[in-house]
Formats: sequence, C-alpha cells, structure tokens
Amino acid sequence: MTEQTSWRAVAAATGPGDRARAEAGVRLAYQRAGLREPGRIVWARSPLEAVRLLSGGPAEDAEALPPTGPSVRDAVRTRPVAAERARLHTRLGPTGWSDHWRTAGADLWETTRPLVDRVRTGIVEALAPDDRKAETRIRLLLLDAVLGQHDAAWLSALDTASGLDGLTEVARTAGWWWPYENVAIITERPTQLHRDEAGRLDRGDGPALAYSDGFALHAWRGLPVPGEFLDSLDTLTPERIRNEENAELRRVMLEYYGYDRYLEKSGARPVHRDETGVLWRIELPGDEDAVMVEVVNSTPEPDGTSRTYWLRVPPTTRTAREGVAWTFGLSAEEYDPLRQT
Amino acid sequence: MYRQGDVLIAPLAESAVPDTAFDATSEPRDRRGRLVLALGEVTGHAHAVVGPGRLIRETDAFGPMLLHVPEGARVVHEEHAAISLPKGWYRVIRQREYVPGSVRIVAD
Repeated sequence: MTEQTSWRAVAAATGPGDRARAEAGVRLAYQRAGLREPGRIVWARSPLEAVRLLSGGPAEDAEALPPTGPSVRDAVRTRPVAAERARLHTRLGPTGWSDHWRTAGADLWETTRPLVDRVRTGIVEALAPDDRKAETRIRLLLLDAVLGQHDAAWLSALDTASGLDGLTEVARTAGWWWPYENVAIITERPTQLHRDEAGRLDRGDGPALAYSDGFALHAWRGLPVPGEFLDSLDTLTPERIRNEENAELRRVMLEYYGYDRYLEKSGARPVHRDETGVLWRIELPGDEDAVMVEVVNSTPEPDGTSRTYWLRVPPTTRTAREGVAWTFGLSAEEYDPLRQT
Repeated sequence: MYRQGDVLIAPLAESAVPDTAFDATSEPRDRRGRLVLALGEVTGHAHAVVGPGRLIRETDAFGPMLLHVPEGARVVHEEHAAISLPKGWYRVIRQREYVPGSVRIVAD
C-alpha cells in the first residue's frame, strides 16, 4: 500500500479504533505542545455526542463532564501543523510546496472537506434547529475540534515523524477529538461510511454515514436527503415520481427507481437512435422534460456483459450523438472517437 | 480522439495550444510516476498516462486539462483496456451530466 493509499484508508476508516493507542496519541500531542496531560479522557460515540457532552449532557458512563478548562487546540493542533507546513514551505519554495500539496493531500482534502462540513451541519441541525443563539454556541464548540482521521489529507502532506506523531496516532485510531486543558474528549469513528466513486456520500437504503450512538446522515450522490425519504424509495411508483414537487428529490427518485424501469413503466419512447446510443425523453408535468442518452460501456464487465447507463443531457438535445457529445462539452460534429475502451 | 470510460482525450493541433501552456507548471506525477487524468475516489482506480509527458491543468479541479506526450504514451485504467496515444498535444475532458440548474461530473 502506498503511503497515500494508506492515508486515504485512514480518512475513510470505520468501526472501532484502538482506544489505548488513541489515548496515548492524545497524551503525546499534549506533551509535544509542552502541556500538562489532560486529567481525564472521556470517550463519545460520535461528534454529536461530544458536542452534547460539552453542552452539559451526560457522558457514556452517565457522569457529567468535569470542568474542561480552556481549549488547547491551538497549542496541540494549529501551531505544530503550521510550523511543519512553514518548514516544508521554506524548504520546497512556494511552487514546490504547491506541487507537493497537490500530489500529497489536495485530492483527499477535496473529498474529506464536504464530509466534515456535512457532519458539522448535521450536528447543528440536531442540536439547534431554528435557534440562532444555540447555533452560534455549537459552531464555536465545533471549532475546538481536532479532526482526527479527517486530518488525513494534511498529515499525509506533512512530515509526521516530527512533532506531529501524537496527532498521527490519534488520526489512525479515532475520529474527531476535543483537547481542553483538563479534559480531552475523543470520539469513535463512524460505524458506516458509504460513498460513490466520486467520493460523495451516497446510499439508497440506509444512512450514508452512521455512528454507534445513532447519529446518521443520509445522502444520495452527495445530495443530503431526509432518512424517511430514503425509506420511502422502496415503494416508489412512476406516479409518485411524477407528483414529487421538489425537483432534486424527484431526480433522486428517478435515479433510484432506475431510468430504464421508469422509461418502460411510463411508456416513454426512444426519440432517436444512432451508433453512439439511444436518446430518450420523459415529459415531467410542470417541469422541463428529462432527456437522457442511453450509452453502452465499451469495455465489458468481468462477466462478459456490457453495462448500460443513462446520462441526463440538456432538454434541447435532438440526437443521441449530440447528447453524448454534450457530456464531453463538444458539438455532435466534433465528437468522433477513434477508439473507445 | 480517444475515449476511456468517462474521459475523452481529443488531439489538439500544436498551433491551437495556448501560449501559456508551454511554460505552465506541469501537474505532479503520482507516487507510481504516472500522470493521473482522473481518479476514482473509492476504488482508487485511475485513468493514468504512462510514459514521458506533461499534464497541465487549465482551470478548475475538473479540467479540462492539456496533455503533451512528445514520444506518444499509453493510457491505462484498472477496468478499461489500455489506449495508445500517438505523440502530440491533447485536451483531456471529463464526462459530465446535465442537472437542471447545474452540471455535475460523472463518476464511472
């Protein structure tokens, strides 16, 4: 496994980590920052539970949190990371650093950042719906968090053999954590994480991200959707799809139900056919028509079958070739592959 | 013009290559020494160029990108057959899908 692949695995790891190693990592991070070790380390099953604890809720063992003292995130995470980044920046120069970051961390951060944002939003929605004042308080608590496994992109770009070994140890064994003067709260990793090939949260029959305390986020190809909505997808009918007023949810319904099945059940007809594929049109009352090209993958699957897939194209599309060409930003005349695999 | 899954590689006449491309910084190679045209996040499978050459990012993260292979090259992917590219300049285009109100990149 290359180092980069291993950091990718860290960011996406699920299931119980190693509590002893994570706690040792936290203590090491305090030491490296020149701080006294925290008097108490408390575990939470999710970042939501951690924030709830910090807001005065009971811990796993039903004990309330002792006084935490001020956050020491700056000393434990911000300063050592900034120092290591500055050291590399000086050594490699601005262009060298930027090349290095693009090879080492940029892609991973590109997919981890939306995940982190979604978790933050999920916590705010769970704890402070429609309460601006509470929301601010929770957002401030979220700023105290060290991202643990979700710091993988940054750690992969830095020399973790230096003073960052404590942070690295926690990242490899646990989720987000909160360092305070007297107390550190460490959270377990999620129990489930489902993403599509582009790295977006994606699952049709359950939460895309779930923690052992029940905190969960639902999403379809990155689009946040309510859990109840996904539950209802099993009993979809073409009529319900047509009647859904929210265009984004209707798109999810169509994708889940399957364009092919929908086309068949709703009696849609192919509009045009050529060597690039087949063009379909579905009329959606009160909305622009859904126009799709049906394309067959050139490389057969391992079982010898060829996968057919549908791509939605602009409603003005008139031919299959024009549709396929559009997916690559070309005109029908320009699109002319010599070889396809 | 060549297509490997959701990536299209279209030849570009040298006269049509933007001036800025000739001295632009090249994208770094991955740790296996390849130029990665597109990376599948979950599988880690990549459309990648093996051989000498340069990859230049023109705009945002999803391209398009310019590829220069002075001696020709091979485009490989874990699930697709390899493609041989004659020497020259190419524009690399990711497949996209129409979403009312926006456009999103296809993940294959």
